[in-house]
Amino acid sequence: MSVRRIPLARRNLFQDRRRAMLAIFGVGAAFVLVLILDGIFAGAMNQVTAYIRHSPADVFVAQRNVKTMHMTASALPPSTIEDVRTVDGVAWAEGLRFTTSTVNAGKASLLTYVLGYDTSTARGGPRRIAEGQAPGPGQTLVDTTAADELGVTVGDAVTILGRRFTISGLSAGGTNIVNTTVFITADDFAGIRGPTYAYILVGARAATPSNVLAEHLAGALPQTTVMGREEFADQEANVVRSMAADVMAIMTAIGFLIALALIGLTLFTSTISKQREYGILKALGANTRHLAAIVVTQAAWTIALAVVVAVALSVAIGAAIGTLTPNFEVDIQFSSVLRTGTSALVIGSLAALLPLRRVTRVDPATAFRRP
Amino acid sequence: MHGTVPLARRNQLAEPRRLAASAIAVGLAIMLILLLDGLGAGITRSVTAYEDNVGADLYVAQAGTRNFFGAVSLIPRDTLETVRAQPDVDWAARIRTFLAIIELHDRKIPTAIVGWVPGRRGGPWVIMEGRAPRSDNEVAIGRAVADRHGFNVGDSIAIMGRRFRIVGTSADTFMLSFVFMTHRATDSLLGAPDTTSFILIGTARPGAVRAELAASGLAVLDRDELARRDLAVMTRAYKVPMGVMRAVAFVIGILVVALSVYTAMMDRRREYGILKAMGATRRNLLSMALRQTVIVAGAGLVAGGVLFMAGRALIMNLRPQFTVVLTVDATARAVAAALLMAAIAALLPAHQLARLEPASAFRGG
Repeated sequence: MSVRRIPLARRNLFQDRRRAMLAIFGVGAAFVLVLILDGIFAGAMNQVTAYIRHSPADVFVAQRNVKTMHMTASALPPSTIEDVRTVDGVAWAEGLRFTTSTVNAGKASLLTYVLGYDTSTARGGPRRIAEGQAPGPGQTLVDTTAADELGVTVGDAVTILGRRFTISGLSAGGTNIVNTTVFITADDFAGIRGPTYAYILVGARAATPSNVLAEHLAGALPQTTVMGREEFADQEANVVRSMAADVMAIMTAIGFLIALALIGLTLFTSTISKQREYGILKALGANTRHLAAIVVTQAAWTIALAVVVAVALSVAIGAAIGTLTPNFEVDIQFSSVLRTGTSALVIGSLAALLPLRRVTRVDPATAFRRP
Repeated sequence: MHGTVPLARRNQLAEPRRLAASAIAVGLAIMLILLLDGLGAGITRSVTAYEDNVGADLYVAQAGTRNFFGAVSLIPRDTLETVRAQPDVDWAARIRTFLAIIELHDRKIPTAIVGWVPGRRGGPWVIMEGRAPRSDNEVAIGRAVADRHGFNVGDSIAIMGRRFRIVGTSADTFMLSFVFMTHRATDSLLGAPDTTSFILIGTARPGAVRAELAASGLAVLDRDELARRDLAVMTRAYKVPMGVMRAVAFVIGILVVALSVYTAMMDRRREYGILKAMGATRRNLLSMALRQTVIVAGAGLVAGGVLFMAGRALIMNLRPQFTVVLTVDATARAVAAALLMAAIAALLPAHQLARLEPASAFRGG
């Protein structure tokens, strides 16, 4: 019958556009909670692993059982570098000195990775120097974002590891959600903290795949941990993943619960408002399945539009966060949208249950009552 | 007439299921605001757990050190003797601290390792089960991590390539579990036997001791400044996401209240038309819209309080590393948020009512 051809669900939903907008934006805002949190999480993973992912090293050697940089102390005897160089397949090996400390300028202070690297090769240095030059003795590279936050620039002084350094240049891409990165020369670092290395960066010969080199190194240096670049980056990402997992689970659950209550409310109120119309349809011969289809289609419309609204809002909020707080990166990933959309469908199905029950019990005689 | 008939309340209570669904949705938004506030307050309390409980008045560290967590201070071990030589120092003890990631059941667990000299100050201030470590192969770990990963006293655990025997469970801090071990054990883990991180000082004259020690080129920090800076560092990562979540929850609350009251009013458009035909002014109708949004927001506030208590109990039971604290400030903020939600949400229904023609009273459905 004609019930099938008239888009009743869509008309029901949009007959009062203001109500439809309130519902769609409300449900969309609940999904924003999930998407933004996912985006901050993905952005943090990008930031935390950036140094490793952009390193020219194919393989990293660390203290035994040390697999990360963040919140990690690693110490290798200086002689390790010579041991590494003798291993088959090694093109170059370079020591990297590393610790976590604070960089201070006046009263301002930021938590920072301090990296001591060989400035002659720059292999352990920053991805890019945005301004100025690599550090010499008594000098440091400070990340652009951190320099803004500390109110310093090239030529100014900062305190790192208790010593004053003059800023020789500004590096890019080294500030993340938790800390920033400063670079000093390997010799300055050794002068303050001693000659040990935290990591050895290793380049593979052209004919040696990095996994093969990693195997060679692991066999030759059993008292160390040897990881390929990807594995090291994954291990680093796992730190963020492990730390954020519980917070993410709690917030995601709350976001979806709010969405569930909101979709339920929307469908329920719309079903009550249209009870008489449903009665007319039933009086005209529409069966329960047709009426149920209307409710389900309304749920589908609400969710589809809410997801679109949520993605648009999340991208806009993410851009605003990135602009206002440059140490934050919000990366709204397609996989996150897909995951949220799929979960939203489940939520919508659950939310439709109560209105469905109401519709199935509509009495055709309702059509003939005064509203 | 409209002054004596509680139309706003009757309108909302006419469809209790709608009011209940609205209250739950608003309540969830308020619960989220309360939980975020509660987590924030919990963070504030737990981040400074060490400074709050260890009883030191001053901390001597490497020059330039400003934090207890995160910044790795390294000073010569014999600094302790220099400090003890000061006449106003009642007691002094050395501790080494550093952050470390340990791997348990394929998860990376952030820990704050504290090495101290057994029998001296600086070690665990509370032992929940077992005892404090005495020898270099023993540790006391945070109870939350022990519970989560099924560790019992007597089990062994790998930390930075070495195995330790768990002899006790102790405290945790925000997102971190304390691992207490002997100072000698940390010397060996870091390969730095003649160094330490901090000298803790107990003194009745902190100002005088600070002045005396500062002259020697060491950083001397008092408990409050260390706690304040630790809080700033540890909460830096959470401030923005929590702020955004709070703002979104607030917007959700407004939208739900507006949706609920708008729907209720539009469904009774004819009745409101009658009121207008009988002489109700715009102000009467606006006040009626506001009273309805206050009813929904108030119901949401109550639901939010109940949901918060349930959510807090659930979170702290399932994830004991999170402390969720309900403060008077947070409660006042939630009430203010609910009232503001009601005020803003009233705008749309009030606008619609103001535009309503009295003639609508005489139209059919």
